[in-house]
Amino acid sequence: MKKLAVSLYAAITIALMVWGFYQAIYVAPDDAMQGYVFRIIYYHVPSASVAFLFFAISLLGSIAYLAYRRARPAWAQIGDAWALAGAEVGVVFCTVVLTTGPLWGRRAWGIWWTWDARLTTTLVLWLIYVSYLLLRRFAAGPQVQTLAAVLGIFGALDVPIVYMSNRWWRTQHPAPVFGGSEGSGMAPSMARVLLWNMLAWLCWGLLILMLRYAVERKQQRAAAEEALEMLEANG
Amino acid sequence: MQEAAILDHQFVVAAYCVTWAIQLSYLAWLGLKWRAQKRNALSSARNPRS
Repeated sequence: MKKLAVSLYAAITIALMVWGFYQAIYVAPDDAMQGYVFRIIYYHVPSASVAFLFFAISLLGSIAYLAYRRARPAWAQIGDAWALAGAEVGVVFCTVVLTTGPLWGRRAWGIWWTWDARLTTTLVLWLIYVSYLLLRRFAAGPQVQTLAAVLGIFGALDVPIVYMSNRWWRTQHPAPVFGGSEGSGMAPSMARVLLWNMLAWLCWGLLILMLRYAVERKQQRAAAEEALEMLEANG
Repeated sequence: MQEAAILDHQFVVAAYCVTWAIQLSYLAWLGLKWRAQKRNALSSARNPRS
C-alpha cells in the first residue's frame, strides 16, 4: 500500500515536471526586456523557494533535536534525521540556484558573478550548509549531532537575510517580483507558469526529502543495533 | 539579432540541463546509498555476530 502511494506520488510529480517544462519552454511568452533567456527564472526561483523551505525544515529538526536529546532520545533522533535531510536536499537546491543564477546573469548583465548582497548572502548560506554536511560526514564522537544542530540553527538565520537582502540594500540582483515595492509583479501568463514550476519542484523536492529521511532513519536504526550488539558482545 | 536569440536559447538549455544533472546525480547517489544499506541489512541478518 505504501509502495503504491509512493509510486503514485512519484508519477504525479513526474507529470508535473513535464507539464512545468512544457509551460516554461513552449507556453510562456518572451519577456519584453530580457527575451528568451528570462525562462531560466522558471527553474531558478522555484529552486530558491524550495531550498529556503528545506532549510526551515532543517531548523525545526535541529531545534527538536536540542530540545529532546535528553528527555526523549527517540524523538531527538527523528528531529536529527529531518535536520540532516532538510540540510542536504536544501544544499542540492541551493546549488541549482547558484549555477542557474550566473548563467542568467551572464546573458542579462554580461557578467557571471558580482559581490552584491543577494548573491553573497546566498553563497554564504550554501557554504554554511556545506560545512554542516562536512561536519556530519567527517567528525566523530557523541557531540557531533549537537554541534551540527547548533550550526544548523545559525545557518537558518541567514535565510531571512537572503530573502530580505534585495529589499534592504540596493543590489544588482533584480528587485523582488512578488511582495516587492509598488509596481512589482509579473504578467499573469508568466506568473501561472512560475506557479506550475514551483508546484512541480516542491513535489520533486518533497519526494527526495522523504527518500533521504527514510535512508537516514534506516542508518540510525542500523547504528543503534550495531551498538547494542557490541555492548552485548563485550558485556 | 539571430545570433543573440541562439545564444539566449543555448543559455536556457544549459541552465535546464545543469539543473537536471544536479538533481538526478543526487537522486542516483541516494539510490546507491539505499541499495548499500539494504545489502548490509541482508548480510547482517544472514551472519549475526552473536
